[in-house]
Amino acid sequence: MNARLRSRNRALVRYLLLPTIFLAVALLGGLRVGAQTRAFVFIAPPLVTLVLATLLMLLLVRGRLIEIARWLSSEHAALSNVSHALTLGALFFASAQAFNSVLPERGLMRWMFSFFFLWTLWNNQFSSFNALRLLRSLAALFGTAFVLKHMLLASLAAPDGGWLKRLAGVVLEGITAGSIDVEQFAPATGYISFLTLALYVAGLILLPPAPNNGDDKDAPRAAEIVHSFERLPPPEQAIVRQSILLAAQLRAADASPDALETDSNRNFIEVD
Amino acid sequence: MRHKLLQSVGIAWTIIFAALIIWLYATEPRSVGDIGTRARVAVGTYEIDRARFDAARELFRREQYRAARDEWMRADPAARDPQTQFYIAYAFYREGWGRAYNDDALFRQGLETINRAIALAPDGALNVEDDADLKMRAAAELKAELENGLERTASDFSPLKLFRERK
Repeated sequence: MNARLRSRNRALVRYLLLPTIFLAVALLGGLRVGAQTRAFVFIAPPLVTLVLATLLMLLLVRGRLIEIARWLSSEHAALSNVSHALTLGALFFASAQAFNSVLPERGLMRWMFSFFFLWTLWNNQFSSFNALRLLRSLAALFGTAFVLKHMLLASLAAPDGGWLKRLAGVVLEGITAGSIDVEQFAPATGYISFLTLALYVAGLILLPPAPNNGDDKDAPRAAEIVHSFERLPPPEQAIVRQSILLAAQLRAADASPDALETDSNRNFIEVD
Repeated sequence: MRHKLLQSVGIAWTIIFAALIIWLYATEPRSVGDIGTRARVAVGTYEIDRARFDAARELFRREQYRAARDEWMRADPAARDPQTQFYIAYAFYREGWGRAYNDDALFRQGLETINRAIALAPDGALNVEDDADLKMRAAAELKAELENGLERTASDFSPLKLFRERK
C-alpha cells in the first residue's frame, strides 16, 4: 500500500507539480510592477537569458541533476516522452526567466550582470560537480544576483535615496559617481522575484535525476543508486563495495557477536 | 492506467498553462482587472461601458475634452471599440486645434488613435452617423485633418488661416 502511495505521489510531482512550478517561474520571472502606476509590466526573456539558460541546462546535465538519456528515451512510451519533454521545456524557460528576474532591465549594470553570469556558467562547465554541490552553487548564484539587483541596486537608484545611496553619499563625499541607469519598479517586484527564485530552487530540489518508470516503481531509489554505482570509476566502486560489506558485517555482529571478527578479517583481505 | 491518466492530465495542463503565459506576455495586461477585460476580448464577449460612453459624450459637447477622453478610455479599457476610439481622436483634434497654430503633441496622439480606430473598423471604413454635433463623420476625414495639421507648408504663414473654422 505504501509503495503504491509513494508511486502515486511521485507521479503527481513529476507530471503535475514540477511543470506547474516551472511554468509559474516562467510566468513570474518577467513580471514587474511599475513604480508610479503600479501597473503590471511583462518583460519577455531577452536573448542573453536564453543563452544563459542553455548553459545552465548543460550544467544540470553535467552535474547529473538531469540524466537526459533517461528522461527522453526510445524505451519510453510516446506519452511519457511527450510529458518528460514538456517538463524539460518548462525547466528551460523557467531557467531563462529566473535569470530575467535578477538581471537589471537596461544599462551598464545589465551587461555587467550578464557577463558575470556567462563567466560563472562557462567556468563551471569545466569543473567537477555533483548534483548537491550544483544545487548549492545555483542557489548561491541566484541569491547573490537577487541581493545585488533588488536590494543594493534598487537602493542606490531609489529616487527618495535609499540607505545605500545615503551611505555612498557619506563615503564618496565630493566625488561624483554619476547616475546609475537602473529602471525603477515598485517594491512588490522584489517580492515577486524572491518568490520566483524560491519556486525555481524548490523545483530543482524536487526534480529527480531520472523519471521512474514502471520497471523500477517498487524500488525507485534502489534503481537510482544502482545506476549511479554503475557509472562510478572502478576504484570508487571498490570503496562503495567495502562500505556496504562493513555495514552488513556490523549488522551481523549485532545478531551474533562471535561472527564479527572472523568475517571482517576475511573481507578486508578480499578487498585489499 | 492511473499513471497514463495522470500523464495525460499533466500534458494537457502544461500546454494550457504555457498557452496562458504566452497570451499574458502577448497582451500585457496592466492589472488583475485588465486580465479579465483582455480575456473577454479574446473570447469575443467584450463590450464597452455604454453609460460611461454617453457621459463622455456629454463632456465632449460641453468642450471638456480631456475629461471626455478619460471617460471614454474607461468605457473602452481594452481600446477595441472603433467608435469610441474615433471619439477619443476627435477630442484630441478639438483640444489641439488652434486658430493660429495647432498643438502638435495632441494632434500626434489623435492621429495614433484614429489609425487604431480605422484598423479596428471592419474593412477599415468607419462612419459615425448618429451625432449631429460632429462636423466630420468619417474616420478618413478626421485622419486627413489631423495629418494636415501636422504638416508644415507655406500656407501656415497665410493670414487667412486665422479665419478658418474648427470642425
